[in-house]
Amino acid sequence: MISTSRPADFDDFWNAVDDELARFDPAPELEVSHLRSTEFSTTYDVRLTSVGPYRIFAYLSVPKGNGPFPALFNAPRYGSVNNPPHYDDRQRYVVMTLMHRGQRLADQPYAAAYPGLLTDGIEDPQSYIYRGIVADCLRGAEFLLSRPEVQGQPAGIVGDDLAILTASRRQGFTALHVSGLMFYRMLEAARRTGSYPLEEVNDHLAFFPESASRVATTVSYFDPLHHASRVSAHTLLDLGDPGTLSGPEFVEPLCRAFAGEVDQYVLSHEGGTDRDATDAWLAAKLGSVPRPRLWAEAMG
Amino acid sequence: MQRRENTIVTATIRGRAADHISSVEKPHDFDEFWRDLLKRASETPLDPTIEPVTLRSNDHVETYEIHYNSIDGVRIAGWYCRPTEQHIAPPYPALLLVPGYISEPTLPKSWAKLGYAAVGVAPRGKLRSNGQFNPGYPGLLTHNIVDRETYSYRGFYIDACRAVDFVQSRPEVDQTRIGVHGSSQGGALTITTAALRNDAITCGAAGAPYLVGFMDAASLTHSNPYEEMNNYLRLYPEREQAMRETVAYFDGVNFAPMIKAPMLVYAGLGDDVCPPETAFDLVNAMPGPVEFLTYPRCAHDAGNYWCMPRVEAFLADHLKPATREVSR
Repeated sequence: MISTSRPADFDDFWNAVDDELARFDPAPELEVSHLRSTEFSTTYDVRLTSVGPYRIFAYLSVPKGNGPFPALFNAPRYGSVNNPPHYDDRQRYVVMTLMHRGQRLADQPYAAAYPGLLTDGIEDPQSYIYRGIVADCLRGAEFLLSRPEVQGQPAGIVGDDLAILTASRRQGFTALHVSGLMFYRMLEAARRTGSYPLEEVNDHLAFFPESASRVATTVSYFDPLHHASRVSAHTLLDLGDPGTLSGPEFVEPLCRAFAGEVDQYVLSHEGGTDRDATDAWLAAKLGSVPRPRLWAEAMG
Repeated sequence: MQRRENTIVTATIRGRAADHISSVEKPHDFDEFWRDLLKRASETPLDPTIEPVTLRSNDHVETYEIHYNSIDGVRIAGWYCRPTEQHIAPPYPALLLVPGYISEPTLPKSWAKLGYAAVGVAPRGKLRSNGQFNPGYPGLLTHNIVDRETYSYRGFYIDACRAVDFVQSRPEVDQTRIGVHGSSQGGALTITTAALRNDAITCGAAGAPYLVGFMDAASLTHSNPYEEMNNYLRLYPEREQAMRETVAYFDGVNFAPMIKAPMLVYAGLGDDVCPPETAFDLVNAMPGPVEFLTYPRCAHDAGNYWCMPRVEAFLADHLKPATREVSR
């Protein structure tokens, strides 16, 4: 049984985020990063204004040569840092990797704590840190999709729940690859694990047991289950083993909720196999070529 | 194996990882360099502090935020988790969990629940330890990479070693059972800590070891973090020799012969982040008992899905986590 329910004012809540974001001029600043530029791509350090106002950071890499090129948005992971765009992606796509508020390079004035970010303000959806973080992702996606180098080309987005929420709130993505979920049926999931980051929720609820209903309300606004119906992108969802938090029976309601077509990729747990398979899926959707990283010779 | 042309790394024709020949050379004063740093560390009062973190404690595990001193006057943070005495009585073996490049230190409650006094180490530059040293991210790998005396990993390695001193300061820890475990950069720190503190480390489990064969690795991959070195050389090609000379002092291949404790090393044969060739180079340089597990088609996950039960069993065999339930 699914315990999360869609708040009555769900649409109002997110429309208000969009409205607030629209009031802030993104004021983009682009600075060429010579260190990360190559003979085939130019990488920029990008700064944008999100709600708050708050200045966020992104890497933007643009292939050299005649565009336009397919676009790829790397939604930020849960953690203090994100890697710059990968060499392989920089050759194929206009690729953007975002640092949301609190992450390094976007940690002034707010520096996220790990553990701690996931429950920062979690008792009120209006003050929950992820309200701003989702806005950061939306701002980044708007910026990427508006770049002249990507006009008329397919756009992909990869990441966890933040990728789903971004694809839900910003149309224009052709393909969505989801790996890892954090907000999906969050309280059920937290009860079934002792691993961080979900353990942050368990810590909070054990320490503040009276907050349980408020926490449940807050996280329901962020549950991808309630956002998926607006996702029109062709979606690839990674599936883990049956009985786990990424298992097919747990994720099945989410699969059914997407508006667009959904493919499921059953993880082999061979990281090289899985990476190459999902890379090939995304490349096909974006009209590009796969870049396998497995080296048969090295496996001898 | 020549792989670099005009300082731009080109595609490499790879052979079997097991056949790789390391280009790492040991500096003549390698031992002296590290002996001096360890001496400097030992002369630095540890001044450990331990503060309970009630929010992240429960009936089974007590969690503390810890701090201690390392060289250059840098204060190091970490998490310390141990079983509650009501759950499992001391003494406990100690387990140092050393962090990866991209990750913050783990808060090792799950290990404490298994009967270990576990420390999640945050060497300088990690979030809670970056007040006095903060090379940012990315950047740690190439921070002053042309000068061994100011290179980022000089203090970073020592910070991990000082976690040994921390657990040795704890009365609830059995000093004869101290293990170290991590993957990627954590695998590197497992190697360096087991080598530099071979007087104290009982066993180590290193996954996907990073910081091994730096120059070889950077020439074999375009994945982060080694790509930081390729970026650096693209901008400063004339510094390649200085870089090579510096990183030799920090290379796991040169630490490996110092390890006395039994070790478990595991790697993915399709690892694009830490090329498997360098894991073979590392293991070949280890004179002591080592169990080496390789996983075809696995990448930087290093076969984690299958390997973790082996890692837990290996650590339990050597560290014998406390299991005695206290009668209630």
